[in-house]
Amino acid sequence: MRWPRPRGLFQTTAFRMSMGYTLLVTLAVGVTLGTTYLLTQRILRDNVDLIITTELNSLQDQYVLRGTHGVTAEINVRIDSWGRIGSVYMLASPRFKRIAGNVTNWPFDGAPRERWPEFRIESIEPGQRSVHPVRAAVRQLSNGDWLLVGTDMSQDERYAQAFKTATLWGMGLSVLVAAIAGFAFSFRLSRRVGAVTETCVRIMSGERSRRLPVAGSRDEFDALAVSVNRVLDRLEEQSLTLRATFDSVAHDLRAPLQRLRGRMDAVLRLADLQPELREPVESALREVDRLQRTLATLLQIALAESGAPLAAVSRVNLSALVGELVELFEPVARERGLALTGHTDAGVFVEGNRQLLAQLISNLVENALKFVPAGGRIEIGLERHGALAHLAVSDNGPGVPAEQRRGAGEPFTRIGPRADAGGGLGLLLVGAIARLHHAVFALEDNEPGLRALIELPLAAPPD
Amino acid sequence: MHILLIEDDVEAAKFLIKGLRESGYVVDHAAGGREGLERSLAGKFDLIITDRMLPKIDGLEIIRQLRLAGLATPVLVLSALGSVDDRIRGLKAGGDDYLTKPFAFDELLARIEALLRRRTRASESTHLEVADLQFDLLTRRVTRSGREIDLTAREQKLLEFLMRRAGQVVTRMMLLEGVWDLHFDPQSNVVDVHISRLRQAVDRGSDRPLIHTVRGAGYVLREEP
Repeated sequence: MRWPRPRGLFQTTAFRMSMGYTLLVTLAVGVTLGTTYLLTQRILRDNVDLIITTELNSLQDQYVLRGTHGVTAEINVRIDSWGRIGSVYMLASPRFKRIAGNVTNWPFDGAPRERWPEFRIESIEPGQRSVHPVRAAVRQLSNGDWLLVGTDMSQDERYAQAFKTATLWGMGLSVLVAAIAGFAFSFRLSRRVGAVTETCVRIMSGERSRRLPVAGSRDEFDALAVSVNRVLDRLEEQSLTLRATFDSVAHDLRAPLQRLRGRMDAVLRLADLQPELREPVESALREVDRLQRTLATLLQIALAESGAPLAAVSRVNLSALVGELVELFEPVARERGLALTGHTDAGVFVEGNRQLLAQLISNLVENALKFVPAGGRIEIGLERHGALAHLAVSDNGPGVPAEQRRGAGEPFTRIGPRADAGGGLGLLLVGAIARLHHAVFALEDNEPGLRALIELPLAAPPD
Repeated sequence: MHILLIEDDVEAAKFLIKGLRESGYVVDHAAGGREGLERSLAGKFDLIITDRMLPKIDGLEIIRQLRLAGLATPVLVLSALGSVDDRIRGLKAGGDDYLTKPFAFDELLARIEALLRRRTRASESTHLEVADLQFDLLTRRVTRSGREIDLTAREQKLLEFLMRRAGQVVTRMMLLEGVWDLHFDPQSNVVDVHISRLRQAVDRGSDRPLIHTVRGAGYVLREEP
């Protein structure tokens, strides 16, 4: 039997989860840094706007106090400090001709529509030409002149650029860290889950006393392992109790039969046994043998149906076993005027108990031997069908009606005429052995005749 | 031959002891595991027959203790359990043969004989000979009075089994176990049919048949009838 295992790290839930978290962390870092950037930008801009408004107000005051001349003078004073504070000023005529200020040409096409228009200005600083972004505000004085005050924004732009770079690096790094952490996490997780899976597989394949590893870290895995181990202890205990009960039942049924046999054997060995007594005792002995065979079958069915694990499991070469049984039964069939043949694929292996599988096949063959009239054919077939082995015993005998074929081999099902002479019990045992081997047992119409089909899970051939 | 029977079922033991004594064996009886173990360790028995389930010390434990003490006395296990793995457990523990209750007394006798003879049998030879029947195990050639007998591989195995135990009664169950490795009792007379085919090949046309039927027990291969 095969048990599912994740094929690689990428298939594990742990890995998928950690990938999801990495994405989430990246998103969170991005949003945080982006918001911070936008907020900072806004505060800086508000600051600039405040300065510009203050300057405009103070220049407008100069105009009110001292007229156009006052404004021009004030502008000229302030221009001197351009290098330091990075402000631009311009007083222009109503038709946007320069009257004063450190801007040569009116930067807009007429009056700007926005409240805070922005433009670029070329300036010649010692040694180099440079272009500066400027944020400005424009106000019309009462005589129709235009007053423009602006601030050099290159500082802010550099700051924004630096912030962008920092944000990208930050996001990149956090992705990297999250990915590494995720990898480590999923590796550790899949190792622990893998250990659990491995143990379960081993327990299912017969190492009943194995338990899940407890790391001693008292984490949720330990808690899980401890609980599962408790369940396993309980199951093992139950299976032992079941086994002990079964053993004592078997003992209590077989022991009296043994005493009965002992007595009868002793009678038969009597030197002065009257000849007319020999036949009835021998016939009674045959009945004891029949009873014993039925009992053995019943006990085996009971054990198989009790859920006790399959004992003495090995990799069985079913092809070879079928061949041997064909050879075993062929002379018997021939003696009864029947042709028994085998058609088997080579190298078909299953996981199971060789004795029980042999008994299963023997029961089906003997059932056919019993019911197929002389001149008939019996065929044992073994074929590979995908992951299954199809083991079929077919005959061209009288067959079994459809309503009696259903549920064959299941407890409390008896098959009409074939149920006599132990046939029904034999099929029950076939069903029980099939179930023990995780196989499906069905009776089919062989048109004409009966076809008993067992579908067993294939096992890999031994190395 | 001196046999120790360890069996707590006194009624069953009574018939076994009686039958074995009538068959010429000297039999000691231990009715419990502890007594059985003590007496088997004394080591003066040719064969020990022990029940599988005994109070206090069970049959398998007796075998383990016996083997631990370095005693190789053959042990035949009688068991009322008899599912497929019980047999394996019995043989793994060091038992030499395993018989499920209820069994025919003749079956027990045949197995006792086989175990006792096994002890004295010489090392594996490559040639078997009974009267004028010869079996060369290396070339797999079988001849009767010089005339070659053609046998299938399984028939050869069957003949080898009988020749190795020439003069001993072998039961159908022993043949199924030894020749076919089957440990259950088929309902049909498979063994009889195979024996009769072998008999056809080996004894046909001979006025001195070698394969004889022993009523109620099994078969024996020997010179005199």
